[in-house]
Amino acid sequence: MSESGFDPKRPVFSRLPQPLLTGLGVGGWVLLWWAIVIVFDVSPDFLPTPWQVAEKLISLTTHPIGEGSLWVHAGWSSLRFLSGFLLAAAIGIPLGLLMGYIRPVRHLFNPLFELFRYIPPIAWAPFSILWFGASFGSQTFVIFTAALPPMLMSAYLGIRLVDPGLINAARTLGAGSTTILFKVGLPAALPQVVAGLRMGLANGWLALVGAEIIAGPGVLTGLGYLILVGQQNLQATLTIGAMVLIGIIGALFDYGIRRVEDKVARWK
Amino acid sequence: MRYEKLILGGLSLIVMLAAWWVVTARGIVSEFLLPSPSAVFEALMRLSGGYMGSSLLTHLKASMSVVLSGYGAAVLIGVPLGILMAWARPVDIIFGPLVSILRPIPPPAWIPLAILWFGIDLTGKTFVVFVSAITPCLISAYVGIKNVPPDLISAARTLGASNVALLFQVAIPSALPQIVSGMRIALGSAWATIVAAELVVATSGFGFLIMSGYRNFEANIMAVGMIAIAIIGFAMNALFLEIEKYAIPWRDHE
Amino acid sequence: MVFAGNRGAEPTVAVDKFSFEVKESEFLVIVGPSGCGKSTVLSMTGGLTTPTAGQIYLGAELIRRPGPDKAIVFQNFSLFPWKTVTENIEFGLCLNGVDKAERQRRIGYYIPLIGLQGFENHYPKQLSGGMQQRVAIARSLVLRPRVLLLDEPFAALDAQNRTVMQEELVRVWSEHKPTVVFVTHSVEEAVFLADRIVVMTRRPGRIKEVVNVRETTGEQHWRAIPLDQVMRRNDFQDLRGRIWGLLRNEIVVA
Repeated sequence: MSESGFDPKRPVFSRLPQPLLTGLGVGGWVLLWWAIVIVFDVSPDFLPTPWQVAEKLISLTTHPIGEGSLWVHAGWSSLRFLSGFLLAAAIGIPLGLLMGYIRPVRHLFNPLFELFRYIPPIAWAPFSILWFGASFGSQTFVIFTAALPPMLMSAYLGIRLVDPGLINAARTLGAGSTTILFKVGLPAALPQVVAGLRMGLANGWLALVGAEIIAGPGVLTGLGYLILVGQQNLQATLTIGAMVLIGIIGALFDYGIRRVEDKVARWK
Repeated sequence: MRYEKLILGGLSLIVMLAAWWVVTARGIVSEFLLPSPSAVFEALMRLSGGYMGSSLLTHLKASMSVVLSGYGAAVLIGVPLGILMAWARPVDIIFGPLVSILRPIPPPAWIPLAILWFGIDLTGKTFVVFVSAITPCLISAYVGIKNVPPDLISAARTLGASNVALLFQVAIPSALPQIVSGMRIALGSAWATIVAAELVVATSGFGFLIMSGYRNFEANIMAVGMIAIAIIGFAMNALFLEIEKYAIPWRDHE
Repeated sequence: MVFAGNRGAEPTVAVDKFSFEVKESEFLVIVGPSGCGKSTVLSMTGGLTTPTAGQIYLGAELIRRPGPDKAIVFQNFSLFPWKTVTENIEFGLCLNGVDKAERQRRIGYYIPLIGLQGFENHYPKQLSGGMQQRVAIARSLVLRPRVLLLDEPFAALDAQNRTVMQEELVRVWSEHKPTVVFVTHSVEEAVFLADRIVVMTRRPGRIKEVVNVRETTGEQHWRAIPLDQVMRRNDFQDLRGRIWGLLRNEIVVA
């Protein structure tokens, strides 16, 4: 995290480069975790050491649990996530742009979103299982409901917040309303749209884990399934290992979107 | 033009309700998959009397007590820690990495671990609610303090402010709007998380209500559970917005 | 004094070989092209930044840190948005332990002086730019500073408000005549307000010439006369032309 601009006290170690400091900090916390387990002699079924978690993850790459190895579970989770996420993007972004650009569309769809806004996406999981079965479809639907609102809202705001001067300038140059939408509105709103993708990603990933856990052991794949199996067999090592994996994959997806964000916002 | 919003908005709501009614009343969609409006109303009546041993009010109390204790702890720890991290670099260097490690893990992923650690009673759920609410509290306090305009700090220093006065009389008031809106987001997050936890394992609460509706093939009970969750989520958010207006009178509120 | 900043990749020398003296109750204006380091000079005088080499004294005392004896008025007003007009003016007094009766006495004096009766309980957002800057000036003056530092205080105002505020500043300043160091890029403002004008070179800022306005105005300074009348005077226009001639070569075409 960035440096405080008005901190009068600057200790010596603060002159170390930031990545090194973060690395040291992360290492320190992991060591603390390790030390607690050893000093208090905690049972590995309650809290394993970081090393035991790493071992578990490595053994999972070759020893399957449920319907497959670590790669199968990570793959299924990613696939479910991507299908819900991409579906939400494919519907949410164009709809958001249209709602921002065409007033009647806005008035038509706004009340519907207001109506469903306060239902937490995970609460859709039981209905979703009822409608689509405890399968790919139900999880896709939950992820879709979680990822849609931020993407739609950002696309909508992106268009609404386009500098009216830009639109007027394009108009005096003779652009029609379709040209303005695609050549002025869309590029100007793009950074917002990508920011919405990033929020949708975080929401969708959260919902995926929730959906996999709520679906219960009826589905024998996914990282949420691994967490659940670990809990039911009282194997904290498996549960924590799967949580670590979820954190890492989520962070990787986020990193990917941030790269896109940097590219898109270059002119900013 | 003036009534466009009202007419189109009303139209879309009416069309949706009508479609729901037609689809269910005509039996196009099975009652087990989508309850009719009248079935939902009937379930609501039944629930206010009592369902599986507890009324709606009991479920509300069950969910709420967990939310408030977990959320309260998150605010009490998250906000001061975020402020300190932004203000004092050593605190940032120590706790920043911990935040970076834990933040990417979605709150629902903690539910099974909490059950493993604390059992299925309230402690486990309070822990998960705490985990879900502390991140927005901490981050918004951190960002709020980092975004204090440097000019305000300079101005206060020329007026003779000490470091303690800078923190308590300039930085924190300046960050207050952001801190409060972070607390509002945290409450929404806590609410969503308790619902998730109750869907996984519970003996009361709205999440449990939805789950028992699901198990007993009563989709109308499920719908009532979801409506109740939405109404409470809305009410908590609205209440917070009112508090923000009252607590931050120097801000423009649209 | 010398100031070598560290903005961006390459350290830049903002101010170099800069030395001047301000007399008690003198109105000194520093004028220079954009980016010449005139704000840096002011910030060092106010104790907000420390010179890389050289010293600044206030009387016999070396300036090391900011404080109420050398209050600064900033270009963007820097009022505390969560404090009302009265609270903003009172803030410095509270920080310096002035008792309540004395605080009320001084506020009762300054609010009518800056013409803000009836706005005591307004928040800065509810005031126009000119009114906000009046509050900022009062907030500094109420501390009875030994030197009042103004950093392009009227640059954010429109041309009409600017003229009004220049005349207002003269009126308010005349009450107690504290020593003033006033930084601006407006030649007209400098010639109208100053006893002496320090003209700076482009970066790294040095003193090009010190112009004594009193030599032109004589005993009766023209700042007591409304600006539009002063503008018509030939001696005013001549001096303005002379300063502008000094500056012209220093303006870097970007």
